[in-house]
Amino acid sequence: MDSVFTNYQILCFALTAITAPFLAFVFSLIFKKLAGAFGIVSITVSLVFSAILFFSIWQKQTFHFSFSWIKLGNVSVNIGILLNDLSVIMLLLVSFVALLVHIYSVEYIRKEALRYRYFAYLSLFCFAMLCVVIADNLFILYAFWELVGFASYLLIGFWFTKKKAVQANKKAFIMNRVGDVGFLIGLMILLSQFHTLDIETIFGAKGIIHSSFIHNGNWVSPFASIPDYWLTIAGFCFLLGACAKSAQFPLHSWLPDAMQGPTAVSSLIHAATMVAAGVFLLLRVSPLFNDVVLTTMASIGLLTAFMAATIALTQNDIKKVLAFSTISQLGFMVLAVGVKDNAAAIFHLSTHAFFKCLLFLAAGMVIHQLHHVKDDTKTKFDEQDMRNMGGLARFMPITTVVFIIAALSLSGLPFTSGYLSKDAILISVFEWASERGGVYWLFPVVISITSWLTTFYIFRVIFKTFFGDFKLPALINKKEKELHLHDPNLWMKIPTIILAVFCFGFFFALNPFSLEGSWLHHAFNLEPHAGGLLHLFVPIYINALSLVLIASAYFIYAKNKIVFTNHKSWYYQFSYHQWYFNVLYDKKLVGLILWKAKITFWFDKHIIDGIVHLSAKAILVLAEIVDWVDTHIVDAFVNGLANIVSSWSVWFKSVQNGKLQHYFIWMLFIFLSFIIYKVII
Amino acid sequence: MGLLSVLIFLPLVFGILILAMPKSLNAWFKYISLAVSLVQLAIASYMYYHFKTGDAFAGVNQLSQYQWLENLNWIRLDVGQFGVLQIDYLLGVDGFSIGLIWLSALVMLVATLSSWEIKTNLKGYFALFLLLNTAIVGVFCALDLFLFYIFYELMLLPLYFLIGMWGGVRREYASIKFFLYTLFGSVFMLLVIAGLYLSVIDPVTGNHTFNMVYAMNPANYIDGSIFNSLSNAEIFGFPARTVGFIVVFIAFAIKVPVFPFHTWLPDAHVEAPTPISLILAGILLKVGGYGIIRIAYGIFPEAAMSLSFWMGLLGVISIIYGAMAALAQRDLKRLVAYSSVSHMGFVLLGIASLTSEGLNGAMMQMISHGFLSVMLFFIVGVIYTRVHDRDIYNFRGLANKMPVFTGFVMIAFFASLGLPGFSAFIAEAFTLIGAFSSQTLNGLLPRWMAMFGTLGILLGAGYLLWTLQRMFFGKFRVKKEEWKLALTDVNAREIMVLVPLAAMALVLGIMPSIAFNVMSSSVNQFLLMFK
Amino acid sequence: MIPLQHFLLIGAVLFSLGLFAVITRKNAIQILMGIELMINASILNMVAFGKYDKIDNTGQIFGLFIIILAAASVAVALVIIMNLYKRTQTIDPNQTKSLRG
Repeated sequence: MDSVFTNYQILCFALTAITAPFLAFVFSLIFKKLAGAFGIVSITVSLVFSAILFFSIWQKQTFHFSFSWIKLGNVSVNIGILLNDLSVIMLLLVSFVALLVHIYSVEYIRKEALRYRYFAYLSLFCFAMLCVVIADNLFILYAFWELVGFASYLLIGFWFTKKKAVQANKKAFIMNRVGDVGFLIGLMILLSQFHTLDIETIFGAKGIIHSSFIHNGNWVSPFASIPDYWLTIAGFCFLLGACAKSAQFPLHSWLPDAMQGPTAVSSLIHAATMVAAGVFLLLRVSPLFNDVVLTTMASIGLLTAFMAATIALTQNDIKKVLAFSTISQLGFMVLAVGVKDNAAAIFHLSTHAFFKCLLFLAAGMVIHQLHHVKDDTKTKFDEQDMRNMGGLARFMPITTVVFIIAALSLSGLPFTSGYLSKDAILISVFEWASERGGVYWLFPVVISITSWLTTFYIFRVIFKTFFGDFKLPALINKKEKELHLHDPNLWMKIPTIILAVFCFGFFFALNPFSLEGSWLHHAFNLEPHAGGLLHLFVPIYINALSLVLIASAYFIYAKNKIVFTNHKSWYYQFSYHQWYFNVLYDKKLVGLILWKAKITFWFDKHIIDGIVHLSAKAILVLAEIVDWVDTHIVDAFVNGLANIVSSWSVWFKSVQNGKLQHYFIWMLFIFLSFIIYKVII
Repeated sequence: MGLLSVLIFLPLVFGILILAMPKSLNAWFKYISLAVSLVQLAIASYMYYHFKTGDAFAGVNQLSQYQWLENLNWIRLDVGQFGVLQIDYLLGVDGFSIGLIWLSALVMLVATLSSWEIKTNLKGYFALFLLLNTAIVGVFCALDLFLFYIFYELMLLPLYFLIGMWGGVRREYASIKFFLYTLFGSVFMLLVIAGLYLSVIDPVTGNHTFNMVYAMNPANYIDGSIFNSLSNAEIFGFPARTVGFIVVFIAFAIKVPVFPFHTWLPDAHVEAPTPISLILAGILLKVGGYGIIRIAYGIFPEAAMSLSFWMGLLGVISIIYGAMAALAQRDLKRLVAYSSVSHMGFVLLGIASLTSEGLNGAMMQMISHGFLSVMLFFIVGVIYTRVHDRDIYNFRGLANKMPVFTGFVMIAFFASLGLPGFSAFIAEAFTLIGAFSSQTLNGLLPRWMAMFGTLGILLGAGYLLWTLQRMFFGKFRVKKEEWKLALTDVNAREIMVLVPLAAMALVLGIMPSIAFNVMSSSVNQFLLMFK
Repeated sequence: MIPLQHFLLIGAVLFSLGLFAVITRKNAIQILMGIELMINASILNMVAFGKYDKIDNTGQIFGLFIIILAAASVAVALVIIMNLYKRTQTIDPNQTKSLRG
């Protein structure tokens, strides 16, 4: 404990860092006019305290504080704060990016009437995300994990009158829910196995996961013993959770749709922070994964990275390209976790946060300015469609420059941060494959191709957007001068410039070619890489071909000299339609579930309720029968008796008809009868 | 006259008072009801606050550990050679009932506030309403099976009239279905109660007794009596105690409702007027869960354990089935009704797990669902009172026109689908954790049940978010032009109803110990019966 | 000496005639007359049987009794018939139903 701060102070700092955005959320909803100020101030506070925490925790100590939250007899659920290297780096990253996005948003969202909601939601997101990062307990992590999803739901649906936006946020939330289900099942398995969900207790250096083992087909922990397949299932469950949050195959299709939200939100949530939470979770629980899970994870990462890169090649919506790029890069990270190089995953997560955030913000600047043009000239065109752009570099130089810097970093060219982190992953994959050999060599091959595809698609965006002919005037029949196209103001420029600085490699390593020299990578890299040859070989062959690809992209998209794609070809269509996942999910799967729901309801109405009605009817029929018996047999007897009596009485009555002579005849008749009777007897 | 008696009979007294008042004082009735509910809530809160926790006050099968105990000799009939017929006026509270009593007090208050929309025959309405109030609180307090049964049946009568007279279009059908269905279950339960009476003796007086706490102790059973676990008596060739358990379970499963006994619920909910829907969803269903815990499981523990698998299976089926059926609905109220089936499935699953987490989760789910379903039904009521229509497809983009209302809707929807920070999340998570760890702890439920149960959470998000998207988001559009004027945002009274409910869901979500504290020792005591 | 059978035969004929009158006539007076005939037939029988009781002459005495009673009843009956006529303008017993139960 060589920290300058006491534990108590650290606790206070951490609590302040997370509560500031929460207070901003509450106050933004109350004092609507000051929402933006609340947001910026609170996230600045978070950033300051995160920085303090970072410098007192990083590489020095692990801080853990928890208290009992729920006590059920002998079961106790604790909540608390866990600050270790991973937490503080994420804390710093999230609050830093969030601050920049807040500043950027002030201008971006200025014209919205409901902008207070925007800032409130953004603060809520920051609060939840910071809590995810510092949660010490998987249960709490899960709670805030969902809250993050909720904030994302609110922000995607910020323009709630847009039909596509509300469909997108629903889709995002439900697909994340699929992952949450996996996460929850994983939690249940861990809890029943370890009787706690405390991250440090289970996964820490001395955690109980290390004292659990597989014996005779059973997974034995100090508390319980269950069949060993549950270990694999638990791993898959957490993987499922991470796949949903980090938009990995097969749960990736929500992220492109989520681009319906404001661009600043896409930048913060759907590029830099929230989607990285999945990778973060994998890192947190990584000791749990056995070989099967790890291999699956690597395969998913690889497949996702490749798939998303191929899709990004053909998209025309600038944000869609970036969204698929994000999916692809997250695939790199998942792959890195899958090949057990956590350091590379964290490193790439951090560098990616900066350059992808920057890409989105820069794209947002383009969209924002074009939107102004659209409003000013009262014309209609899609401001996100790259086919309407081209040649913007002349009007928006700063935007162009920062975009290119970020793109270089994404491509992993030398001197950028991406160079370091991507190479870290590539080298690990090569090493991993060489250890295993055989079919595993597919991994480095495919990931190298993906890396080249990345370079190609991002430079396609650059050349289509910023270079080539300025297509807009012709499109809307205006003169160039009427459009007033220029860089946005400082509110938007400054955050992007700051981010651009962080895209350079020397921020992470003094020697921009030395991966091992990077402080960030070094901190997590427990087993330094052995092969020196790979370090030399991988960057060179990747970058050499990348440069060729950049040049070819220039000629294809900026100069239109080469036309090499046939838009009708099946591979173009396959890529353009995003591998038809949306058709499969939105139409087929959702249709199937709704159909099943209808069947269930039909079953309920006609079978279950039918049985009730049938039994009611059966009782009614029985009642009818009883009624018939009652009227026609039981009552008939009684009534018959009464009828006989009454008909007799009617007849007797007729005797007394008041006629004297009749009486007389009767008297005679009776008298005679009596006589006759007497005579006969 | 103890506090519980006051709590129970206060509404009855004022109900009679309302009957005695002339019709010209129509406008006063709702304020009288409101005052009664407020006093009740105050008493319930006082009791909750002073409720003693800890193992010494666990209750369950220890009569002396119950709090606010009231024991009066009610009926003592000397029946010659059969001994003395002993029926006690026995009231008491333990960890299982205190939370539900408080919940009923709150729900009754909310339902009273919601009764402002009732315009016809106020006198009858409020008199019946207060009678219902008495019966409901009585059910949760009664510890004598006979007394319990009286309150239990007494609930049906006012409900029948309240649905049948103030309900919707098909109210006669719904009320009769509700009444007969519930009666069907409880009549057979009466037989079991009679059997228990013949089997159990009061250890103090030596008489046969209806005391349900004594019935939980095997030592109080007469040798060779039908429900004595040692006598191996049989009914129709099945062990008597298993039959007894099943009969009692079905009686309460109808109330919960558990698949396949749930079909009365959508009809009754849809046709009932809003305040009655609130009571049905908020309290009536909990009577079922409470009964399963207290009577079915409490009195027949070993039968319950042997059937745990089936209980859990019914729970899981209810969860998924209810959610699927909800997904297919066009009528908002019916959707909410089916979602109740789904949510109450968690209660059964948690109870069946017989673990501390599962049972606490189930109790929490009952309380949480009490707040949330009331909120959901009230939300439906808000729309219905304005335009008399509930079809989801007739509305779109209500958020534009009713922003505050939409805020509440989002809170209610997200809380119901188990967003962390709200009570339902804690409840469902604990229920599922309990169900999952059951196999390791006591081997009752297989693990896949918990895994399938999680699907309910997923589907819940499906139907609620889809509804949110269809009704509240998008551009404002409604079916008829005149609705545009009628659809105004929530008024002060409605906010007054919604705020405490949302607040309670939130408070319990953030500080679940408030509820867990009072119930956990009772739950542990309860679980000891299954060892 | 006229044998008893002759008296009885005449009595029976008289009685039958009276009975016939009583049953068939539509006039109350005629019915009354029929009744008188029947009474007379019975008186005749009484007197005829009186020869077997020479000491007390019970038959003769009964005959006298019946004559007196018949005279009284005729008087009453005539008054009834007159009142009936006053009330209903008819003396046909079939037309009146005030005796009806």
